[in-house]
Amino acid sequence: MKFNSFLYSLRQGLKNILRNKFYSLASLATMVVCIFMFGIFTAIVVNVNHVVREAEKGVAVVAYFDEGVTDDQIAKIGDFIRSREEVENVTFVSAEEAWQEFMPIYFGTEDPDMAEDLAQDFAKDNPLANSANYQIYLKDVSKQDQLVKDLSQVEGIREVSSNNTVADTLTNFNSLLGYLSIGIIVLLFAVAVFLISNTVAVGIAVRKEEIGIMKLIGATDFFIRAPFIIEGVVIGLIGSGVPLIILYVLYQRMQTFVSDKFGMLTGILSFIPAGEIFRYLVPVSLCIGVGIGFLGSMLTIRKHLKV
Amino acid sequence: MIHMDNVSKAYSTGNPAVNEINLHIEKGEFVFIIGPSGAGKTTLFKLLLKELEPTSGTITVAGQELNHMKRRQIPKFRRNIGVVFQDFRLLKDRNIYENIAFAQRVVETSPRRIRREVPQALSGVGLAERYKAFPNELSGGEQQRVALARALVNKPQLIMADEPTGNLDNQNAWEIMKMLEEINEKGTTVLVVTHNREIVDAMKKRVITLEEGRIVSDEKEGGYTDEV
Ligand SMILES: Nc1ncnc2c1ncn2[C@@H]1O[C@H](COP(=O)(O)OP(=O)(O)O)[C@@H](O)[C@H]1O
Ligand SMILES: [Mg+2]
Repeated sequence: MKFNSFLYSLRQGLKNILRNKFYSLASLATMVVCIFMFGIFTAIVVNVNHVVREAEKGVAVVAYFDEGVTDDQIAKIGDFIRSREEVENVTFVSAEEAWQEFMPIYFGTEDPDMAEDLAQDFAKDNPLANSANYQIYLKDVSKQDQLVKDLSQVEGIREVSSNNTVADTLTNFNSLLGYLSIGIIVLLFAVAVFLISNTVAVGIAVRKEEIGIMKLIGATDFFIRAPFIIEGVVIGLIGSGVPLIILYVLYQRMQTFVSDKFGMLTGILSFIPAGEIFRYLVPVSLCIGVGIGFLGSMLTIRKHLKV
Repeated sequence: MIHMDNVSKAYSTGNPAVNEINLHIEKGEFVFIIGPSGAGKTTLFKLLLKELEPTSGTITVAGQELNHMKRRQIPKFRRNIGVVFQDFRLLKDRNIYENIAFAQRVVETSPRRIRREVPQALSGVGLAERYKAFPNELSGGEQQRVALARALVNKPQLIMADEPTGNLDNQNAWEIMKMLEEINEKGTTVLVVTHNREIVDAMKKRVITLEEGRIVSDEKEGGYTDEV
């Protein structure tokens, strides 16, 4: 298709949209809602994921040894743990180190001098004598249960402790939200396709006579169809562009709002920067918008424009 | 230009609308097709434009065999033919200039050529001044002249007019027929369906008469008066 013909089709497509405002607006509104919800759900899911991953970093599986285990055995266990795929890294914590770490909590003071004094009394008798352990950090927290199970079987290991309820809950919540949003969005997209195909059908009905003349004059199928495809695609483009702009503004507002009001939580509630989310959200949403517009008009064209 | 061999067309209902027709029209001819209402004249035109498929027989138009033509070749083929109808079929939402430019846009003519050729086509039918008018601001005769200009603007080899004067008074009818004759004298083949007895008799052209889907007469300088 020549450039001038494209411009002509574009003009006709825009005319179609303006000519039946009611249907165009209905389709547009549905598209806007679709993409808006898609954007919100994406932002939530991505951010919760981010929080989970941050939380996971701090969570370790801790493996304690049997009484009287040899250094050799400990080294072997260490090798075994390191050999596992899901393990990010392993740190050995000796009984002394464990005690040093635990002391301030135990004595209820952060003051090292005071703790030192109190510790003197325990020096010969480390209450955590059996608490040498491996702290194991995972790449993927969902593999934690399996690892705990396997480690409990290993000889020389007395106890494996893990604390994963927070991460688990968040992960479950996130996948639930993910499925729910996919369900709602697919439904809305179907409605959008339906409405756009109806909008285009109205346009075709209005231009029935014109299409008849075009066929007799020798217009190609493509030339006859182009304005209607453009009509659908333009609705899709506007319908995804507008909510993206709104989402961007909202996201940044909310980020500032949360860090103003809940400043002390920023460590936990760290938002992914808008730029990082929108770098993917914008092209994906525009593609979805254009795709839905194209699909909607194609469905109608195939039905009503048998050339 | 046109060759039809043993062509029949039956709609799903009733007798064939076109029945075993053999028809040959050479390049540069001017031919009237007459006959009562329901004789199959419009059906014949639709077969020639490949709007309809014949039930049997072969059709060749402008050197192209229609039976084996692929769907996507149809648009190119139709660009050889200019069509005119009784009801004009102008686009009411745009002015005269745009109506004619439309025919060129549809076949992807360059804007430069459109700007040059639309005014030429309009002055060819004596409406150069009215290019801004809308169809409903013109008389029937003027509207049909616009339709004729639209049919001609892409310089087809063949013009097919289905009762072009059916909605016109005698003077306007004559004007349109004279224009068709001029077009024919410049080399375009012209095929006209009409009920206008006076004009057919006066113009002394080849006349083909259809009745119930069959050709009942085909005369070199025919007219209504010869039969009855
Ligand atoms: N689409 C159609 N479906 C069924 N029958 C048709 C159709 N079009 C025309 N006919 C019939 O075919 C015959 C020829 O019609 P037509 O070609 O329009 O005649 P004319 O143009 O000479 O008046 C008529 O009997 C008409 O009723
Ligand atoms: Mg007819």
